[in-house]
Amino acid sequence: MIDNLSRRTFLEGTAAVAVGGAAVASALAADEVMAWAAGEGDAAAASGTVRQAPSLCNGCSSKCGLVGTTVDGKLWTVEGAKDHPYSKGTICGRGHGVVQMAYNDERLTQPLKRAEDGTFAPISWDDACREIAEKVNAIIAESGPEALCLIHDPRPSGKYYGPRFLNALGSANVYTHGAACNASKESGITYAVGASNFSVDFGKAKMVMFIGRSYGDAIRPSSVQSLASAADAAKRIVVVDPRLSNSAIFATDWVPIKPGTDIALLMAMANVLIEEDLYDHDFVENYSIGFPEFAAQAVACTPEWAEEICEVPADTIRELAQAMAKAAPAAAVEPSWRAAFGCSYANSFDTARAVCAVNALLGSWGQEGGALLTSSPKAGDIDKTRFPSVPKPQAKRVGDAEYPLVLSGMGSNLAALQAALDGTMRGFFFYNSNAAQGYANPKVWREGLGKADLVVTIDVQMSETAVLSHYVLPECTYIERMELPEFIGGKKHYVGLRTPIIDRVHPDTRSCDEIFTQLAQACGVGEYFDFTLEELAAAQLESVGTTLEEVRTAGTVELADPGFAYGVPKFKTESGKFEFSNAKVGEAGLNPVIGYVPRLVEAQGDELYLIAGKQGIHSHTMTQNIASMNAISREYDLERLWMAAADAEARGIADGDLVEMTSSEATGQVRVRVTERMRPGVVFMPSHYGGTSPYQTRACGFGLNTMDFVPFRMEPGVGSAMSQEVAVTVRKVEA
Amino acid sequence: MTSYGMLINTKKCVGCYACRMACQMANHLEPTESFISYHELEQGKYPNVYAEVVPVQCMHCEDAPCQSVCPTHATYTTEDGVVLVDENKCIGCKYCMAACPYGARIQIEKTGVIEKCRFCWDGQEVGNPPKCVGTCISGARVFGDLDDPESELSQEIARTNAQPIAGNLTKAKIYYVR
Amino acid sequence: MVWGSMIAWYLFLAGASAGAFLTAAFVEKKYPDATKMRVAGRIIAPVFLAVGLLMLMLDAEAGLQNPLRFFYLVMNPGSVMTLGVYFICIYMPVALAAAVLEILRRPVPAWLMWTGVVFAFGVAAYTGFLLGVVQAYPLWNNAILPVLFVVSALSAGLAATSLVGLLADRKTFEQMWLIKKSHVILSVIELVVLFTMLVIVSSGSPEGAASVQSLIAGQYAPAFWGGLVLLGLVAPFLIEGYPVFITKRVETSTTSLVVSIIGESGVLVGGFLLRLLVIFAALPVVFL
Repeated sequence: MIDNLSRRTFLEGTAAVAVGGAAVASALAADEVMAWAAGEGDAAAASGTVRQAPSLCNGCSSKCGLVGTTVDGKLWTVEGAKDHPYSKGTICGRGHGVVQMAYNDERLTQPLKRAEDGTFAPISWDDACREIAEKVNAIIAESGPEALCLIHDPRPSGKYYGPRFLNALGSANVYTHGAACNASKESGITYAVGASNFSVDFGKAKMVMFIGRSYGDAIRPSSVQSLASAADAAKRIVVVDPRLSNSAIFATDWVPIKPGTDIALLMAMANVLIEEDLYDHDFVENYSIGFPEFAAQAVACTPEWAEEICEVPADTIRELAQAMAKAAPAAAVEPSWRAAFGCSYANSFDTARAVCAVNALLGSWGQEGGALLTSSPKAGDIDKTRFPSVPKPQAKRVGDAEYPLVLSGMGSNLAALQAALDGTMRGFFFYNSNAAQGYANPKVWREGLGKADLVVTIDVQMSETAVLSHYVLPECTYIERMELPEFIGGKKHYVGLRTPIIDRVHPDTRSCDEIFTQLAQACGVGEYFDFTLEELAAAQLESVGTTLEEVRTAGTVELADPGFAYGVPKFKTESGKFEFSNAKVGEAGLNPVIGYVPRLVEAQGDELYLIAGKQGIHSHTMTQNIASMNAISREYDLERLWMAAADAEARGIADGDLVEMTSSEATGQVRVRVTERMRPGVVFMPSHYGGTSPYQTRACGFGLNTMDFVPFRMEPGVGSAMSQEVAVTVRKVEA
Repeated sequence: MTSYGMLINTKKCVGCYACRMACQMANHLEPTESFISYHELEQGKYPNVYAEVVPVQCMHCEDAPCQSVCPTHATYTTEDGVVLVDENKCIGCKYCMAACPYGARIQIEKTGVIEKCRFCWDGQEVGNPPKCVGTCISGARVFGDLDDPESELSQEIARTNAQPIAGNLTKAKIYYVR
Repeated sequence: MVWGSMIAWYLFLAGASAGAFLTAAFVEKKYPDATKMRVAGRIIAPVFLAVGLLMLMLDAEAGLQNPLRFFYLVMNPGSVMTLGVYFICIYMPVALAAAVLEILRRPVPAWLMWTGVVFAFGVAAYTGFLLGVVQAYPLWNNAILPVLFVVSALSAGLAATSLVGLLADRKTFEQMWLIKKSHVILSVIELVVLFTMLVIVSSGSPEGAASVQSLIAGQYAPAFWGGLVLLGLVAPFLIEGYPVFITKRVETSTTSLVVSIIGESGVLVGGFLLRLLVIFAALPVVFL
């Protein structure tokens, strides 16, 4: 118990510290200090030293700005940075949970080496790097550097260090997680508008259509805020999704659609816009190419035709198209992320293009309330003598020939997996990536990585991929490290920075830059890493007109105004125009014109379509073993399979019943959530439960992993995972 | 007089658990302990369904049943209308848990004390805003003074016609938009 | 579920303690020669309560960690729990003093006995009111529960004392018709009160109905019917009622001894199960 007097004294003592760090986005409030003391209830806490430091969340790809507060060097709370464009002062549940990884009792604390029997034993950093280098050099000597690859889920430092390391070894085989995330969508959008993504001008939009994506489940606070504001302003918000997601509270319309057939809906909307002459002639005639071919293909795509495919009533489709036209140009189909066409179906690439086509017919590109293409800042030229360029690898990236349409910044990591199965990809580096559990069917990854001569995983926890690795290198968590600047685009430009919020909990863990630098040195390419992270960060920041000191204290800094203006944007396509047709797409063996492509798998008999998606508290497999988030999943039974009430009744299944789900690939048992929020004929699985790493006891064996049920196949052109091309049978497990 | 209260707009709540997580960290709760519980409800039949998530926590009732049954006076109400537990008086008899119709009280594993939302009370004042409000990604929560008609809270309650969750079950000071 | 079996034990033992004290007083008045039973009742009373209070304290973890906090228990006279503490504060020393006097073979003064009787009733009733005032649980929040608990307390105290009488001084015990009759009548009353309560609770609210349903047909049905109703009420009624009202003769056989032991034990088991089931089956009012 602390009496008021000592609390006061404590406050005065800590006030100085707070002022010292006052430049930090949100100034420390006195009550927070005392809440710590009051909560702890012992005098020891009262002597605490309170500090704040900015960082960027690691909960998902948004990397929201946040501020961490520590007491006596131990993390107390995190808050969203007020001036970060994504967090806008708040942070979601994942954000609060992922910071706790630092204190996780099951995180990696030292480098490990796998023995013959599959067990792992500690190894020193020096020995690990030396042995890895020996194997790397042996692979290069025998098969060339093109037998090595890196698969990563890029983070600020990783984006620079990982590819640089691999390129220095002479390999171009750098892949992101994209093929299991948003590669189809970003590639598709690129072949229509010349940029990999766009945004909807929510503040001014009158009508927005979402396809599959749920801001309320895969959260970026600023997106949720804009959606909430739109709902407040009584805008028309249409949600096309077989499941009534947690974003539906903001929606005016729910269009439960047959999974994987969104493209039929979009083509039919295009048909209505063209047939009823509701499209923007000025845009189509002056700013696009390929419209006549597109219109010719859209002619057959009547709402009645689409109804047969996507099972949305023709009248609904017609009304949606007409309403969008009426609201145009302040209307748009939202670009989505992973959701329904990031990597899900055989037609995901074309679905993304069809989204763009509808927006083009609405004339909403660049307009107020429409679909906006904004720019992103990047680091300018830096001193080549201090940060020498790495020579371009000779061989092209593996997979680029077979999947030429995939975004060059992503590549198809599944092509690397295929090469491992074929025996040509012999060395794998994984950074911040649990590919073997989430990117394709895990049994295929096990087989592929089993054939590899070298598998190295850099992670903070013993993921399923780490379990399959020869060497596991422990990274410190993001709040224990500084990283390179993160540049944020949009109507305005920003730069954010991760700074250490706490000291390293485990001294034998290292940061991404340190790990790749040491690996490079061991492999004999250290000359490309002869600088510190701080030197590089400082140089990058100076190149955009700010300083390391400024960003380090502020966390987020606004850069020079890019001068965004409404109006038809300059499309960075080859033609400089919106492309309803693209020759390169045709050369890749796909329909050059935006048009209908069917999904691959059709449910037979009593099969149900299996779809999957995120939950607000989890980021794929990464968050499953975090105690506080796992506790929520268990308390609220979040691992359950969602099933339509009608489907459940037909199978004699009641809410909470244990069922057995079977696909061509796997069978597994899970409990059911019977709900009216599902379209009959479809079951929904929350992504990425069903951990199998025995080193992660909370996640291991809890729920099912969707990818276990999905056959290993790749989408033509882009090499994405087709993660929802699967049908399953579900039956009740009798007690 | 000040009378602290809150508004929770379920029409803006996406059920992201950020409030639980922020509260848990700020109040040093274990991963399995939470001052906020969530009730996921759905009404109607496919395809005409309405789904909502209702976060529930201590309502800081004016006529707090937990306080009237507490044998040790560990539960008390501050001048500002915040219902608190004096952790140095609580014996952990759980009578308050039984008496609370909202199930808002939990036992703290480490100390055995029965606790609940305290509007982020720090020993002298409430957190302003409390962590759950500060972190709410969609602005579904508003905190403030019910006695001040000019407060954002009072204005928002009036604008949205927010009501206590269970009518006059107790004189609750958390208002809901549903 | 807020409380568990520890509190059920406490409620049962406190009630049985009160019942035992009252039984001893009754025996003293009506059967002055039945020393062993009287002494048994006098000793059972403080011992049961002491064990019960131990359970209570073990369940109150925060208090267990900081025992001095238990002194705060007298702070809120508006709380039934505090009232119970007041009753116990008087009843416990009285029961203890009476037990010590009995052990020392000294007479228990009438004023002490009567004080004990009054507060024994208080203790028995308070265990019912403790739950009865909790509005959140319809199964508890009714006027009949305290009556039920008092009847059950008397019955359990009587059974505990009788069990000792049966084993230690069977000859005298078998002659105590008033005790036996009371026993049978209490079983009937308890049965009637129990089902009256269930009917009232069931018709009062959906949650109450669900609680009753879980007792009579749901997950607690085996314990309810087999343990509470059959073993705790019907069997003792038959076992005691048959010789008392039908054959009207003094039993001496070993078989009847065993049967009687089963009957008395059944009352005790039933008394405990009553508290346990009332705690477990209670469902809170749905406020959403």
